[in-house]
Amino acid sequence: MNTNGEKILVVDDEEIIRIGCQRILEEYDCSVQLAENGRIGLEKLKSERFDLVLIDLMMPELGGLELLEEICKIDRNIVSIIITGFATIETAVEAIKKGAYDYLSKPFTPDEFRAKVGRGLEKRHLLLEAERLRKEAAKNLIECTKQKSRTQTIINSMAEGVIATSLDGTIGLVNPSAIKLLRIKNEKIVGNRIEGLLGIPELEGKIKSISKTFVPATFQFSTAENRFLQANITPIVSEESSVGTVTVLSDITEEKKIEEAKSNFVSLVSHELKAPLGAIEGYLTLILDGLTAGNAEKEHDIIQKSRDRAAELLDLINDLLDLSRTDRKKSLKAIKKIDMAQLLRDVCDFYQNEAKEKSILLDLTVADQLPAVQGSEEDLARLFSNLISNAIKYTPKGGVVNINADKKRSLLAVFVKDTGIGISKDEVGKIFDQFFRASSAVQQKIGGTGLGLSIARKIAEDHNGYIEVDSELGKGTTFTVYLTTTEDR
Amino acid sequence: MNQKFRILLVDDDPDFIDINRTILESNGYEVDAAYTSDDALEKLKSLHFDLLIVDLMMEDRDSGFTIAYAVRENEKLQSLPILMLTSAEQKTGFKFQLSKDQEWMKVDDFAAKPLRPAELILRVKALLNKDS
Repeated sequence: MNTNGEKILVVDDEEIIRIGCQRILEEYDCSVQLAENGRIGLEKLKSERFDLVLIDLMMPELGGLELLEEICKIDRNIVSIIITGFATIETAVEAIKKGAYDYLSKPFTPDEFRAKVGRGLEKRHLLLEAERLRKEAAKNLIECTKQKSRTQTIINSMAEGVIATSLDGTIGLVNPSAIKLLRIKNEKIVGNRIEGLLGIPELEGKIKSISKTFVPATFQFSTAENRFLQANITPIVSEESSVGTVTVLSDITEEKKIEEAKSNFVSLVSHELKAPLGAIEGYLTLILDGLTAGNAEKEHDIIQKSRDRAAELLDLINDLLDLSRTDRKKSLKAIKKIDMAQLLRDVCDFYQNEAKEKSILLDLTVADQLPAVQGSEEDLARLFSNLISNAIKYTPKGGVVNINADKKRSLLAVFVKDTGIGISKDEVGKIFDQFFRASSAVQQKIGGTGLGLSIARKIAEDHNGYIEVDSELGKGTTFTVYLTTTEDR
Repeated sequence: MNQKFRILLVDDDPDFIDINRTILESNGYEVDAAYTSDDALEKLKSLHFDLLIVDLMMEDRDSGFTIAYAVRENEKLQSLPILMLTSAEQKTGFKFQLSKDQEWMKVDDFAAKPLRPAELILRVKALLNKDS
């Protein structure tokens, strides 16, 4: 028999048997312990780990069968061999039912003993190996399940849509975002061919063609709901051969909108710049081509008008610069607590002369202290400058521009009220649009860039506020600026 | 030039009217001006003109077209040549071509603003000669 340091316990009330067993086992590489009854044997089994136990069936205090039951509770893999003096089939069967591996009938020869113990130890090794494999398999299974569900969870949580297909165009995976982005109604698309399932024939075609060409591609398209999506289609390459494709979908509608707004803005600006420049160029050409025929008065008039158009260009460019300044990142601006009463006083002081020249009463009625506003002083001064200078500009001689302020819950409301030309109901909704000019202003030939209010609104929004307008054609306009204050409500 | 041709200039930008009026008058044409499409249609109905020069984009985006349509709809004015000026091609990024769009535009000539004096006179002469 082969041994390798196994631990063997002999439980028998007959000393001869105990000694006999020990003698035989001494020749082998194993350690042997002896117990003279079942109780002592059980104690040893509870405190130490044994590989094999030899148990006498008939013992005082705790019998062999009872001990066998206890052993099964401690470790199912301990190999027990019953030693019995009256080897009947009945007791042997009962012992084996209770978990014994084999039995030895007294008297036994050393060879019999070696054979049975040797087989018992082999059994023990097999049991341990089986146990180890079982544990390993269970561990692998848990790992595997965990890994799979983790990957699945990640893919299902992605904001981007993911669609995987095999080479023949069979859909292998679709995550919830892809279903949402493509508004796929058919729930059972996995396992089916891609044709007609994604609702975008061009996308289906691209995915299929990439299954053949293996060249990754990016493709943008619009959906029925006017959303723009971008698909990045990549071949899945495994051991140098392509096995399918993976498509990642992202919603680029917002980016497209910004792109469009930017390009619209550029063409609008170009148009606005072109009109005054065209006029100046036209006037200069008149003089250069001799069409004024030395008429000094006419030439003076032309130069005057050219200068006015040049001044208009400068105003426009200044407003454009303001616009780009308000567009700058907030972190680049000096943000601080602003004394709004002081800021309004400063802005009104600045426009007092302009108002006086038009005999307009510019009246500021605010408390000495107003709730403070957190923000950019430069931007807020620009906001109220735009509103107050507009009020003066669009108010006829002898009119009144009144500025007052009020606290409304956590908001500070500043009213800029004029007795000016007003804005028609049709146009009042457009006045914050870039380059929009009210027809009442155009008809009265009051110059302007159409940017001042769009800048004002942008600044108010940057300060967690908004602007309201109330106007009546021919009567006047009130702009109300609401800003979030830093004080408790 | 025995008889003075009368031209109506329509533009909402007074400076362009001023510039074109100076060019045309110094070439011997008689010029009247209108700043809105209503004003222009009023003058066209009550006065005689040999040529209409109109800006495409006035207070509304396409009021130049509106005028051109009104002129073509009116039996008396049907044969009045129209020169349309615009800076629209830059604004829309779309280049108007007379031959392609003539049916729709109902104008006789189309030019991008601003037009140099010599170029303007050349086009005006061509339109007036075709008419006579």
